[in-house]
Amino acid sequence: MKRKLRGRGVAASWYGIARTATIDRAGAWAELDDGGTAKIVTGVTEIGEGILTVLAQVAAEELGIRPEDVTIGDNDTARSPEAAHAGATRQTYMIGNSVALAAREARGKLFAEIADHWEVSAEQLRAFNGEIWVEDTNKRMTMGEAVARCKARGVVPVGAASFTAHGTGLDPVDGSGSPWQAYVFGTQVAEVEVDTVTGEVQVLGIWAAHDVGRVINPRGVEGQIEGGVAQGLGQALMEEWQTDKGHPVTHGFAKYILPTSLDIPEITSILVEDRDPKSPLGAKGIGEPALVPTAPAIMNAIYDAIGVRMKSLPATPEKVLAALAAKEGAAA
Amino acid sequence: MPDTLTHPTVTAVTLDLTINGRRQRVQADPGARLLDVLRDGLMLTGAKEGCGAGECGTCSVFVDGKLIKSCLMPAAKAQGAEVETVEGLARTGDLTAVQKAFHKTGASQCGYCIPGMVMAATATLRDNPDADIEEIKERMGGNICRCTGYSKIFEAVEIARDVIAGRLPHTALDPEAVGNSFIGHNTRRLDAPSKVTGRLRYAGDMVMPGMLHMQVLRSPHAHAKIVSIDTTEAEAYPGVHCVLTCDDVPGEDGFGVFVEDQPVMARDKVRHVGEAVAAVAADSVRTAREAMALIRVEYDELPGLFDPEDALKSGAPVIHDYAADNVVKHIPVRKGDIAAGFSAADVILEESFSTQQVEHAYLEPEAGLAYVDHDGVVTVVSPSQNITHHRHMLSHIIAKPINKVRFIMSPVGGGFGGKEDMIYQGMLALAAMKTRRPVKLVFTREESFVASAKRHPSRTRCRMGLTKAGRITAVEFEMLSDGGAYGMSSEGVMRKAAILSCGPYEIENLKVDTKVVYTNNTPSGAFRTFGGMQAQFATESMMDMAAERLGMDPFEIRRVNMMRAGSLTHTQQKLASAAIDRVLDAAEGASGWEKGAPSVRGESRGDLDGPGTRRPCTLGARVRETATDRFRP
Repeated sequence: MKRKLRGRGVAASWYGIARTATIDRAGAWAELDDGGTAKIVTGVTEIGEGILTVLAQVAAEELGIRPEDVTIGDNDTARSPEAAHAGATRQTYMIGNSVALAAREARGKLFAEIADHWEVSAEQLRAFNGEIWVEDTNKRMTMGEAVARCKARGVVPVGAASFTAHGTGLDPVDGSGSPWQAYVFGTQVAEVEVDTVTGEVQVLGIWAAHDVGRVINPRGVEGQIEGGVAQGLGQALMEEWQTDKGHPVTHGFAKYILPTSLDIPEITSILVEDRDPKSPLGAKGIGEPALVPTAPAIMNAIYDAIGVRMKSLPATPEKVLAALAAKEGAAA
Repeated sequence: MPDTLTHPTVTAVTLDLTINGRRQRVQADPGARLLDVLRDGLMLTGAKEGCGAGECGTCSVFVDGKLIKSCLMPAAKAQGAEVETVEGLARTGDLTAVQKAFHKTGASQCGYCIPGMVMAATATLRDNPDADIEEIKERMGGNICRCTGYSKIFEAVEIARDVIAGRLPHTALDPEAVGNSFIGHNTRRLDAPSKVTGRLRYAGDMVMPGMLHMQVLRSPHAHAKIVSIDTTEAEAYPGVHCVLTCDDVPGEDGFGVFVEDQPVMARDKVRHVGEAVAAVAADSVRTAREAMALIRVEYDELPGLFDPEDALKSGAPVIHDYAADNVVKHIPVRKGDIAAGFSAADVILEESFSTQQVEHAYLEPEAGLAYVDHDGVVTVVSPSQNITHHRHMLSHIIAKPINKVRFIMSPVGGGFGGKEDMIYQGMLALAAMKTRRPVKLVFTREESFVASAKRHPSRTRCRMGLTKAGRITAVEFEMLSDGGAYGMSSEGVMRKAAILSCGPYEIENLKVDTKVVYTNNTPSGAFRTFGGMQAQFATESMMDMAAERLGMDPFEIRRVNMMRAGSLTHTQQKLASAAIDRVLDAAEGASGWEKGAPSVRGESRGDLDGPGTRRPCTLGARVRETATDRFRP
């Protein structure tokens, strides 16, 4: 047997978006502000996934301004509407859509005033990237001017909205029910190299294809996939919280081994868009689903390389060597 | 006063340092680390404490031009040294090329590791401006990131390297032009400048005038009765403002995501090692620790449960009185008739799988700050992933109306589900109410590990029947999970595991049972995928084993069974659309997959080592020796 053997494996996956088997809801407020800026207030924020930027892009698109003109207001139960928790792959779907709806309402108030000012119908108005204009005419002004005009007419352009996802509970006997209104699917291919002397597995490549509904920020989605793959790889090969009669054995980073820059494969992300028909944005989500197929794809690749089926995670060098020895023992 | 710099019983030492080009004199506790002097003395909080043991790199700074981990350096050792922190990299106010590149590529996510990453990247390019990707990876190997998967960080360092060397124009760092929509545009992260400069303040970086420091006494036992807690000596200790136990809870004690089975501090008994038993708020962390050592707790050890199978045996110790069978939740899913399904099968496979308990390992340990405001509103600032629910729970715990309880979500330095549980905010609120002073608590890494929830470990037995053509006729799927000492998110995790169990396939006959039990292990809770990963690891392994048995390509067997528009899911929901066909095609195409049954054909494959793979890593071989190699001892 060659010392280092390579193989490939694939795994598919699926996942539900937002809270499970229950109705989910989120609220947001929007205000088109002086200078063509905006305030968006919602009760939940960034845990690293890039939701602030996504919300700013969504608000900018709806309001006709630029993402950097948007200020996202506090994650504060006493100062902002309920948006519930930062989890369940629900941020883009729940908060993104509630911000889109709130921004539309604010825009509607501004458009009504500007349409009246220009003596056109609101349907003829377009706004993008800091400007508002009447299609096929020379009527055009900055969004800063439009907000000033709107306020001079006595109107502050504000909006508020709530977005609902209609999940239902499961039947207690047969589990039937509609836990989510939006589903995503993913497939990952892993390529590994197994050192048959040390038992070490290196993941060299991951090709990750994920349906995200509609991509708001491609780099942000890739970042979520790359991070999910790294966590999936950690769980597949090295991480394990161990206790002995309840007492921790792996109590710090010296004992609890995490993937570092040297463990990371080349990751190729392929973003598939199957738009969600039940929401204004059409986007779904990617946070959690990104890591579901990683570990089984790696285990399937290890099997392809050395013919041992790793059924117990993590596939540490010790376990891989033991499995190889058992296989050779069985063959002898 | 900054905490570690003053203590009544020790004499401070005077340090003269050059910090970011400016000479400064600071007083420090002789035991202080350089990190303490920077953070507490000089308010330079860009350097973070991720582990306090030199293992994660979040505290990286330059000392006399050399990259070091400031949590390992005694402050006194830096006497006379030139120290450069992340705040000093771009003194003119503009970002450096490295920082701009991090901004451009989206290299920061939660941002907690990012100041350290920026320092390590800067060190890499200062040491070798021509470092190739392999050398970059190796030089940055001492810095852990839990969010990004490192890829965008590598990309940023390579862009910065080429801009600095003049191989790329400075415009390579500019934002991407926008077309006719901001949807689908690579808008740069709005929070990135605050993260790459170290300006963003996480809860542990925040200070308030008059702020006290909390430390938590934790259980040394996995399962024990609390006979008595004597706090007399601790309360009398100079500098202590209050000592808390469960007796200080004025309302209905209990929190949890699905079942509120966990007291703010242990009540009558402890159920896992590391459970909070009492808390001290004092003038300094050190005083709080010293007082904590004076709390006398008498325990009466109980037999413990450490294996989920044991938890189900008759006569097993009972961990929570309300659940005499130790079962937190059982979720059944039934569809069709599995007996008929298995009798229609040409082959039947049966296997068992297991997954381990996994730590979230966010780089930001838990931290929080609580105060009572001028209107009597009890306010908790913390990186909570669920301020809405925490507000509800705290309101009944402290017996105040909802509008007298306020939660503010501070920037979260990584969560992944691990910051959904209200494991310390209750203690902070009680201390703030009792002392009428702001109170801050920052977990150590060890404390974060022992007290926070983990990913549920699982044992799964899966039986799958298929026709010769690869069509699944029936699946029987049983999962047993160890929920540990408290319910936390266990119920929801089992529900999601059951719903998703059999994967993205339309299966007419199935029987799924997921069950989670109490033990005296570290609690399991919410963790990115919420049970979905554990279940689908088993199913996706089975799919490949079935494909080998039937001589089918693994993509093909998945296509034969995949859900389609109109399919009924395992819970009998009719799908309007299912993009599984498209993602299978996309992954197969992008990877250049060579068709064939998964029968150990690695050695003969023709699709290996192509585009989209990296070189395998051989440690130490890649750092180039340069004329000015400062890494050499």
